[in-house]
Amino acid sequence: MQERRVVIVNRLGLHARAAAKLVRAAGEFASVVRLERADGGASADAKSILSVLMLAAARGTELKVTAEGADEAQAVEAVCRLIEGGFGEES
Amino acid sequence: MSGGRKNGRREKFWRGVGVSDGAAVGRVLRVGGAERQNVYRATLEAADVKREIRRFHAAVRLSRRQLVAVRRRAEQLLGAEHAYIFDAHLLMLEDRKLIDEVEDYVRSERANAEWAVKVVGDRLLSVYAEINDDYLRERGSDVEDVLRRLLVALGGEHAPRGLTEDAVLVAEELLPSAVADLDFAHVRAVVSDAGGWTSHTAIIARGLGIPAVVGLRDFYRHARTGDEIAVDATRGEVVLRPSKETAAKFREASSRARSTVAAPAAPAGAAHAPTHTRDGVEIVLRANVELPAEYEGVRRYGARGVGLYRTEFLFAQGGGAPTEDEQFAAYAELARLCGADGARVRLFDLGGDKLLGGGETAERNPALGLRAIRLCLRREDVMRAQARAVLRAAACGRLDLVLPMISDVSEVRRARRIVDEERERLTGEGIEAGAVRVGAMIEVPSAVFVADALAREVDFFSLGTNDLVQYTLAVDRGNDEVADWFRSLHPAVLQSISRVLGAAGGAGIPCVVCGEMAGTPAYAAVLVGLGARELSMTATAIPRVRHALSGIDAAGASEIARECMACAGADESEEVVRARLGERWGDIFPPKSLPPPKGEGYNFGQVGHTATTKP
Repeated sequence: MQERRVVIVNRLGLHARAAAKLVRAAGEFASVVRLERADGGASADAKSILSVLMLAAARGTELKVTAEGADEAQAVEAVCRLIEGGFGEES
Repeated sequence: MSGGRKNGRREKFWRGVGVSDGAAVGRVLRVGGAERQNVYRATLEAADVKREIRRFHAAVRLSRRQLVAVRRRAEQLLGAEHAYIFDAHLLMLEDRKLIDEVEDYVRSERANAEWAVKVVGDRLLSVYAEINDDYLRERGSDVEDVLRRLLVALGGEHAPRGLTEDAVLVAEELLPSAVADLDFAHVRAVVSDAGGWTSHTAIIARGLGIPAVVGLRDFYRHARTGDEIAVDATRGEVVLRPSKETAAKFREASSRARSTVAAPAAPAGAAHAPTHTRDGVEIVLRANVELPAEYEGVRRYGARGVGLYRTEFLFAQGGGAPTEDEQFAAYAELARLCGADGARVRLFDLGGDKLLGGGETAERNPALGLRAIRLCLRREDVMRAQARAVLRAAACGRLDLVLPMISDVSEVRRARRIVDEERERLTGEGIEAGAVRVGAMIEVPSAVFVADALAREVDFFSLGTNDLVQYTLAVDRGNDEVADWFRSLHPAVLQSISRVLGAAGGAGIPCVVCGEMAGTPAYAAVLVGLGARELSMTATAIPRVRHALSGIDAAGASEIARECMACAGADESEEVVRARLGERWGDIFPPKSLPPPKGEGYNFGQVGHTATTKP
């Protein structure tokens, strides 16, 4: 299993559009990908947009990204890169 | 409520927030809300469960085809970045969580698919409703949108839209796909009760050049499909069942909007450059903000921060005074939005009915009653909570406090003492408080007369022209019957403005002029002539005011202003403005851009309204 922590940096947080990008990215991988709030709040299936939105991850929220499966390393890398890059939005 | 007193057919005025400029006259088409289909529970035979699940999957497929088409269309019209919201809708539609839960519910409860979608959907929405972040919480409306689509698909009907050639969409809250689904060629305008409009919808309306007004609060329940309606989004005005005269005025505004729309379309970079008159005088243009829906406009139109932040909407949301923490969240967001340009937060400018509750406290003359600063000082608990929230939020950015309806220095002194006490208390509690400057709203004639003394007691002035005109001319700005007496260019008003600007200049404090006048190019030119160097207006007005002020020279405007102040009455000063602006800068002020003579043209003062916080 691979695990990494990232912080949401874009201004609007993990809103619908950002979540859509994230879910599309996670869906590229065979591994099970999960997001968990580092404060011990909710956790989510990164391939389900409804579940990702329920994290209510505003800017500044720290998330734990985990993946388990054949391509787990790439999956964590791709998801973290997207989050750290602010989903390509202006911040 | 103004208008409509005698019977239901009389025209009625509403005022909201324009989020996409333009004007139109057309017929109401109500969408969403009460017309949402009712969902009933049916119990299935065990043998029918499989078929029900197949029916559900067919509805998902149909919805998917629609969404793919909507996304493609949005992409062509608005570009990929804005079409992405429909990508989110597609993902929601096909989300395993939703599909699995609906299937499980149909199986375990032997329920019809409609009922299962409703139960599962409500469960999801209740989770979103608890999210403690305004923007993210609003995403619930996207989920709702997808659920609605699914239910319509299950019904097997393409909801008949009943679109006429001149439809004006009226909604409680307009969901993004409701806009994107429609045949834009037939939509003349869009209006909605809700103020927290998702920015996607505002973007779509702007992208399509459809006028849009939000924040009308209770318009939806008054409007019936087929009613005639007039919309002027540039001024934030909506009229239901307009008279022939009103409809004609709005049609004229509509053609004027179309003819001037090209001018302000400056490149994005230029929108943020400082505004200078031709003789090099810098004019600072700020935004008036009331609803979160307007935040985006502050950036978009290049406002130098927020010149007037009206806090009354915080009351409208819940009922009762908002808590210190609720206010802190709102002000901190504002502070972050405005950055170094800052925002001026006005204390609750409310009447007693709102704060004390109930009609039994109704005053005979609320505009002159226990309101604004008077009420804040009476209800110190409310004022202290607001002051603390602003002080705390000012640690995230630059915020100042504005005291509304000041009529005497004693009010300023008492209010400042309260702010200072709360600052000390916060410091004592180890809570960071920002440097908050305190300014006075100048809108009462007595304040104009003692402006020199007031200027020594405050850090800045905010000149509120709407109320200044109301109080100086003794005209109720909510009463249509006296609208002809509401004359912004009355020499008494102009002399008052000049005096206040002079007092501020003498004391070396800034004075920002906010109100309808600042957002109307012809009046803005007069204000610059009177000596105003900071104007604050609805963000959507900034491009046209910038365009106008960049083309005039302050020295010339000053001559016009002096001539107006010397006039005997309002008719004369209006004529001076009309004639001189046209003579000097005819390219910027073509005849139609000027206030027409009273009695035959568009009323450039305030029209009546039901929904503002002023009586």
